[in-house]
Amino acid sequence: MQELFDRRVLLITGKGGVGRSTLTAALAHAAHKRGKRVLVAEIGQADSDYTPLARLFGRDTFPKDPIPLSGGVRGVTLWPRKGHERFFKKVIPVSALVNAALSSHALQRMLDAAPSFNEMGVFYHLLTLLLEQRPDGKYEHELIIVDMPASGHTLGLTGVPSRVLEAMPSGPIAQAMREGQEVMHDPKQCAVWVVALPELLPVTEALELLDGLVKDKMPIGGVLLNRFVPDEFTPEERERLQPLLEEREVYGKARFIGSPRSEEALERLDRGSKVRVLRITERPLQGKALAASIAEDFASGRTA
Amino acid sequence: MTPSIAQLVMTRRVIVCGGSGGVGKTTTATAIAIAAAQRGRKVLALTVDPSKRLAQTLGVDRNAAAPTSISAERMAEAGIHAPGSLEAWMLDPSVVADRLIERLVTDTTEAHRLKGNRIYRQLSRLVAGTQEYMAMEALYRFLEEGRYDLIVLDTPPSRNALDFLLGPGRVAAFADGRIFQLFLPSDQQTGFFRAAAASILTRVNNAIFGEQTYGELQEFFATFANIIVGINRNASQMLKTLQNPDEVAFLLVSSPAAEAMVEAFYFRRKCLEMELPFRGFVLNRSEARPDARVMPEVSAFGEVDPVLGSALAKLQRLATLELAQVERDRKLMDELTTELGEDAVALAVPALANGAHDMEGLMHIATILMEEPVPVTEHPVPAA
Repeated sequence: MQELFDRRVLLITGKGGVGRSTLTAALAHAAHKRGKRVLVAEIGQADSDYTPLARLFGRDTFPKDPIPLSGGVRGVTLWPRKGHERFFKKVIPVSALVNAALSSHALQRMLDAAPSFNEMGVFYHLLTLLLEQRPDGKYEHELIIVDMPASGHTLGLTGVPSRVLEAMPSGPIAQAMREGQEVMHDPKQCAVWVVALPELLPVTEALELLDGLVKDKMPIGGVLLNRFVPDEFTPEERERLQPLLEEREVYGKARFIGSPRSEEALERLDRGSKVRVLRITERPLQGKALAASIAEDFASGRTA
Repeated sequence: MTPSIAQLVMTRRVIVCGGSGGVGKTTTATAIAIAAAQRGRKVLALTVDPSKRLAQTLGVDRNAAAPTSISAERMAEAGIHAPGSLEAWMLDPSVVADRLIERLVTDTTEAHRLKGNRIYRQLSRLVAGTQEYMAMEALYRFLEEGRYDLIVLDTPPSRNALDFLLGPGRVAAFADGRIFQLFLPSDQQTGFFRAAAASILTRVNNAIFGEQTYGELQEFFATFANIIVGINRNASQMLKTLQNPDEVAFLLVSSPAAEAMVEAFYFRRKCLEMELPFRGFVLNRSEARPDARVMPEVSAFGEVDPVLGSALAKLQRLATLELAQVERDRKLMDELTTELGEDAVALAVPALANGAHDMEGLMHIATILMEEPVPVTEHPVPAA
């Protein structure tokens, strides 16, 4: 399990409603228990009142600079403008000009209007946090875990450097994008984990997402198969129970019928991709309690 | 009085389905279109960048140049017998973009030059809201033509449902004159202060973008400047059309997850701010539905029949999981309905075992969408 956390950055992705935020929080708690200095990050949205990830740490949102959260983990929102600001400071030699750039409404609107510039800002913000060092030369944040946006948009984000390089092959932006690619494309430093549910369509979508990520040259950590229901019934038990349930509307019946499908989904993932699949079993919990319970399993290496 | 989706389908000219990617928005929009056609309306299902599977199910070409009728065979499968009452068009954003340029830029060499510009070729990906703007453009044109009773618009896939509402405005903001000032060559700026400011900007821009890219941006903006007036006028006209509460209804399609709720409330608030007629939520894959299930009883069998006893104990554990999910989904639904005003509905659609990617699945969803919503508090409480 240690190997899972032996990176600088983990990107957690998957489509809406599969439990990305919960697993991001669980991984952060587990890595912290293993002694890592962990930063959880999410990507800034317009002006949301609260975010599900922040809620799992007892806050409404995270600020744009890292703050300590309950449980020893730190949290931050990656914000396009923060990235632009840091980028301007690096590439514009005269500080008066930096201020001119930062206070230019036209330039700000231009950067707002173009999503690639926004994504570049997010990217750059992440990059600067990764490189931040303590006085003793060690990294300020040994491990950054990012709750990525839903599938399609993740590809939007991971594809940013190459898209930007296509439109602007030279200049300081191109150089920063190349620096970012060096970290993001390095399997020793970065891993993308796709969260999926053990059902027909979600598995197909996870496989498609994995394909897309490989095309973007992203190093894949594997699949987190969430809400997995192991099939624990022996053939005899199934045979006895089946006729009894035929006429009845009871809770548990759908999962009794569905749990073999969970196992099938696992097999399909194993066959369709050459990546690691970790099963996270379904449990009758929600919110912080759910994240804590999954974190226990991650930390103790019970997740397999 | 809260209009149900069944009523909206019969009375509105446009139904816009919004939502972030991967929540079954296209499926919902298509099912609504099918339901409307079943009820005798002439319907166009308009979607941007749909999945391959859906195009296959409907039997239409993904890159057709114009709306295509769904074949009589497939329609009969869906119980629709009026020929030509259901058409679908899957918009290709780059095709619509080129057409828009051709309409707005009358000078063909200029249009040609613009299309060859590297920045333009990345435009739909570089400028936020371009796809949304294109979808609105197409919608607006079909409304003017008046060929359809109802147009169901499946909005472009995006990270955030709001992207659709804000999209056209973003394009207009991008086309803002002040941004253009940034990229006009400094010798074209008049007056001492302006020229001085422009030369500072040139230095800043060169530092940020690099000289070559800055040059290309300048060329792009010089050409693009000619069409901004058109874009701005269109965007405000389209917004006005969408604000008509007698003709238009906005629905948010969402998954029953915590993040969906954040988005749902925000979407509704933004609709109200922009005076768009928000009419409700469709919660996909939700268990917050009328439910006759009970907990399985365990005790009697265990001692007589150990195999069945152990099977029932395992079933009991699964029942706990299932009940927990139902409770979670109901709690979300309750939160939603409490927050909802009088003029919006919330409807839960369950996950289908085989997905909704064949005609049968779409029909099933269509039937559920046409149900009158049941207030959650009236759902039977499961017996322990």
